[in-house]
Amino acid sequence: MTIDLKPSPARADRDVPAPLTLTRDYSTPDRIYRAGVRISGGGVFLLLVVIGIFLAWSGYPAFQQAGWKFFTRSGFQTLGAHPTFGVLASIVGTVEVAFVAMIVGAPVAIATALFLSEYAPLKTRRSLIAMIDLAAAIPSIIFGLWAVFELQPNVVGFSTWLSHHLAFIPFFKVVSPPLNASIFIAGLVVGIMIVPIVASICREVFSLAPAGEREAALALGASRWQMIRTVVLPFGRGGMVGAVMLGLGRALEETIAVSIILGGSFTVTAHILQKGGSTISQLIAVNFGSGGTLGLHDLLLCGFVLFLLTLVINLAASAIVNRSRSGAGVDL
Amino acid sequence: MTTTLSSTSPADADHPTPFTGTPELGQPGQVDAHDVCAWFGGRLVLETVDLVMEKSKVTALIGPSGCGKSTFLRIINRMHEVVPGAQLAGSVKLDGVDIYGPGQRAMETRRHIGMVFQKPNPFPAMTIAENVLAGLKFSRVSPADKDDLIEESLTKGGLWNEVKDRLGELGGALSGGQQQRLCIARSLAVKPRVLLMDEPCSALDPTSTLRIEQTIKEIASEVTVVIVTHNMQQAQRVSDYCAFFLAEENQPGRVIEAGKTGTIFGSPTDQRTFDYVNGQFG
Repeated sequence: MTIDLKPSPARADRDVPAPLTLTRDYSTPDRIYRAGVRISGGGVFLLLVVIGIFLAWSGYPAFQQAGWKFFTRSGFQTLGAHPTFGVLASIVGTVEVAFVAMIVGAPVAIATALFLSEYAPLKTRRSLIAMIDLAAAIPSIIFGLWAVFELQPNVVGFSTWLSHHLAFIPFFKVVSPPLNASIFIAGLVVGIMIVPIVASICREVFSLAPAGEREAALALGASRWQMIRTVVLPFGRGGMVGAVMLGLGRALEETIAVSIILGGSFTVTAHILQKGGSTISQLIAVNFGSGGTLGLHDLLLCGFVLFLLTLVINLAASAIVNRSRSGAGVDL
Repeated sequence: MTTTLSSTSPADADHPTPFTGTPELGQPGQVDAHDVCAWFGGRLVLETVDLVMEKSKVTALIGPSGCGKSTFLRIINRMHEVVPGAQLAGSVKLDGVDIYGPGQRAMETRRHIGMVFQKPNPFPAMTIAENVLAGLKFSRVSPADKDDLIEESLTKGGLWNEVKDRLGELGGALSGGQQQRLCIARSLAVKPRVLLMDEPCSALDPTSTLRIEQTIKEIASEVTVVIVTHNMQQAQRVSDYCAFFLAEENQPGRVIEAGKTGTIFGSPTDQRTFDYVNGQFG
């Protein structure tokens, strides 16, 4: 069957015009501004790529020497006829420190943020916020020193208690004392260190929760906590995950405080309470310049591994942040 | 200079017991406001308001912007104190019980005296059905039949026919007028004795406004309604009683005249009321 299609009379004698090509006529300041933000934006991305390439390139000789065993062995013996070195214990240590830090730091940070945005009396709120922001600026070496001289002596007792009562959990089992200079203590310090920055971001997010919805909950007879659970937390979920991931990034890379605490023994261990363990950044910081040419290549390769680890975690984090925003972020 | 919350003497022999349980829920209540004053950050914005809002009637609070109508409304269900720096004095009684009296909890008061706000504020990440049940969730009451309650509340709110096939959709996906009716349904689901409405139609189109006015008339038998409105026609259409608020220059807001709506609009005793309801100012 055919249908005889006829052009509408109005169209018959008229050609459809071609789409206009719009020229963008930027003013000079606009052009300069565009160039500026393009260069700085592109520059940051370029820097990331260049650093990655540099690390992979400079670390390659070490990889040639050790092969895939680099990832299954531990240690830093790069001098002599039979060098053995690897990153396994340091990867495990890094993850363990970060894990302890998140377990300790994230809940405290979120609770602090809730207190600041919801419960703190108005008069003291401002100064408390200023204090938290200030705490975020304390250099990590200060935390490290404080941890060695103040925190550690006081935490060993708690570690002992944990090892006595929770030894059935492999993490808390102690095979060989002593209990100082442990992954647990290092994680504890890092956890305390990340509280201010995570709390600061979370507070900012919580304070943006829509006033209308807060009042809606209260007017329906919700208690303060019910209002927070219904409005503030769902609204802030995306930002909360982002803040915690930022803290995690910091926990993974923290060098100086961890180096001061950890002795640096290259044993892969799940027993986080006992002395020993190392992290990648600690391995690099402690051994820099002491292993000859091969040692340098080794450390750069370790750096590449850390680089990839943080990259993967941050990408995963941004995926979570994006996902948790949709649905909870419907704006009125 | 200000006492935060004045209350009736607790030693009073016939001081009524605090309302706590649910038996009175669902019965329209009478609100007596006496000597109500309000401050924001030490500045007096509302002065000695005495007003009775009769059971099962619709009372409209009218007056130009900034005369304290909304503040007064928020004092009736203890939402005023949520604002930082806000203070108040006087007493507000719900069926004889001072809601600011000793032992009275704000949460409990708000369950008996619901509120609908100027800007629709459903919980956007909750479904329509969840929004309706939100208030009951807060008071940890589980209704005998949830579906019945959802249907009943949405019907009263004038929204049932539009949403009955999509109760699982998010509240934030509705149009502005529908969202506001959802908010009304949500407030009615907890069966309050009084429903406060703070310019509920000012952000809505004429059709939605009409629907909401119908709703107000329909629910008035079950719940006392107090509505703040800038719309004179609306006040005339929906209310039984009217109170005219006015804040004269550099003065706190006061009630100039209150009475039957017909009287306020037809033969007000005060010249200022006459000027306002006849569109001379405001």
